[in-house]
Amino acid sequence: MQKTRLESLPVSRVRDTSEVIAGRPGAPSGLVVALGLVLAVFLVWELLTRLLAVPVYILPAPSRILQTLAQNGQVYLEASLLTLGEAALGLVLGATAGTGIALLLGLWPRLEQGVMTLAILIKSTPLVAVAPLLTIWLGFGVLPKIIITGLLTFFPVLVNMLSGLNTADPARLDTLRSWHASRWELLRFVRLPESLPYFFAALKVSGPLALIGAVVAEWTGASGGLGRLMWLAYTNLNLPYLFSAVFILSTAGILIYSGIQWVERKLVFWEG
Amino acid sequence: MRKFLLFFWFGFWISACSTQPSLPTSIPTPDELTFMAGYKPQANLPFVGVYVAQEKGFFAAENLEVDIQHSPGRGEHLQLVTSGEVHITTQDAAVLLQRRADPGLPLVSIALIGQRGQQAFAALAESGLKTPLDWTGHVVGYKGTPPPDLFAILAAVQANPEQVQLVNVGFDPRVLTTGQVDVYPVYKSNEPYLLQSWGYEVILWEAADYGVPALGLTYVTSEDTLQNQPQLLARFLRAALKGIDYAREHPDEAVEAVMKYTGPETDPEHMRFMLLAELEDAASPVTAANGIGWQTLEQWQSLATMLETYDAMPVNDPSQAFSNEILELAREGEN
Repeated sequence: MQKTRLESLPVSRVRDTSEVIAGRPGAPSGLVVALGLVLAVFLVWELLTRLLAVPVYILPAPSRILQTLAQNGQVYLEASLLTLGEAALGLVLGATAGTGIALLLGLWPRLEQGVMTLAILIKSTPLVAVAPLLTIWLGFGVLPKIIITGLLTFFPVLVNMLSGLNTADPARLDTLRSWHASRWELLRFVRLPESLPYFFAALKVSGPLALIGAVVAEWTGASGGLGRLMWLAYTNLNLPYLFSAVFILSTAGILIYSGIQWVERKLVFWEG
Repeated sequence: MRKFLLFFWFGFWISACSTQPSLPTSIPTPDELTFMAGYKPQANLPFVGVYVAQEKGFFAAENLEVDIQHSPGRGEHLQLVTSGEVHITTQDAAVLLQRRADPGLPLVSIALIGQRGQQAFAALAESGLKTPLDWTGHVVGYKGTPPPDLFAILAAVQANPEQVQLVNVGFDPRVLTTGQVDVYPVYKSNEPYLLQSWGYEVILWEAADYGVPALGLTYVTSEDTLQNQPQLLARFLRAALKGIDYAREHPDEAVEAVMKYTGPETDPEHMRFMLLAELEDAASPVTAANGIGWQTLEQWQSLATMLETYDAMPVNDPSQAFSNEILELAREGEN
């Protein structure tokens, strides 16, 4: 059996540059390259803050940030668990609402203009304006934070899912219609599977956005979480604490994105 | 056999439930009250009174279960007090008058803790600025909107405000150390500590030093709560003022109490500085004669007149903005 060399494949069959790099004998993997780049940025940052004697209240060195993280591991762990929990639940809420509404609009397209106007209205409303109302209605717990996160994340899912449902292969739709398939069957067997890549594209936007949503929600009033910790650190101008939370959020954002990408590869195996 | 065991377990469960000792009827259920500090957890004196009262059991002794919340400081706390979600909050006296005038929030001060204004204007000692007259031709920062006391100070030294360049700087004293502004508005008990901890000597100008009336933080409730739950408010105030007294006697313990509500990002020495500064400002001839928290129409009227003079608010009756009724009730309960 003839073996196919990766380099000889047409460009469309190569997923991304990391695969090409990984495919070369002796070449570092994508992960190693990424880690190397991050380390290089940190090294330059560390050197510059030391050489220029940048005060810690202007910009702390990475070593100082990592030291703060290590010394307050328990505090950051508890805060992270709370914020990540709010972000995860908010993302589930937003993605479910976005998908649900998109499916409804897929079944009854006449509703689209009205529902989308409402969705844009929600999307355009500054969340800090509605946060006190949510507190009045739902109290001081995590529920308002989850809802704020949900409100922030549902729109990308709705728009992408709607695009996916509307761009289904017309030939396949016509074939099923010729077999007298119902609207539900068209949705189930053609539109929904074909919209899955769009769904995951939306999740890759909404996942890291959910973290921002949870943090912003905590800024509007919270008793715990990374957002509260960042707010307290900023108002005390304690930048090592502030940047420690930023480090955690950045890492969590990368992990969430990678996790969604991994699930996508498993579920949408026919793509790429 | 299995049925017998199930029956036995069910019977045991029922008897366990029915034989649970009932609570003695002599202990009444604590009354719930929500307090929202007007900003993040820190050693502002009205906050400290509540933290200490909670930690030392002064609220429990009043049969109160107090839920302590913190506002992000953008006015949400006033909204929540007005809606009844929060019973008591804290607010700067001048802002209280302004919010009563516009948009007409039905808020009332039940105790004036800060007998002097919280704010001052700071410059680096090395700047060479000596008096507010020297601000002419320099950049002066403000937070949000230019405060009326800034114009009052300039008027007091007969400086022309047109010749002062005003810029909105928000909360960031770094703009002073990096030279982006020459004069920076500070909370006396807060930023001066930070600036000094970074190695800068600062010079402060306070409105009161120029004869400009200014008041500090108050405990605030809504007119509705004041009318319908005066005893509940009195029990809260009695415990909180006891907390302030305790903090005066035991500042180290008070700082420890504050640190339970902040996090490791907060410097205990900073909190100690804040507490001591605010304890000093809680005393005045009015409190010497009537005790901590007392407030007079003269104080509020002077403040209102200053605010009206500098167009910070429309003409409004300040006598409705405060009440000593709860303070008197609280003191009656002490006897």
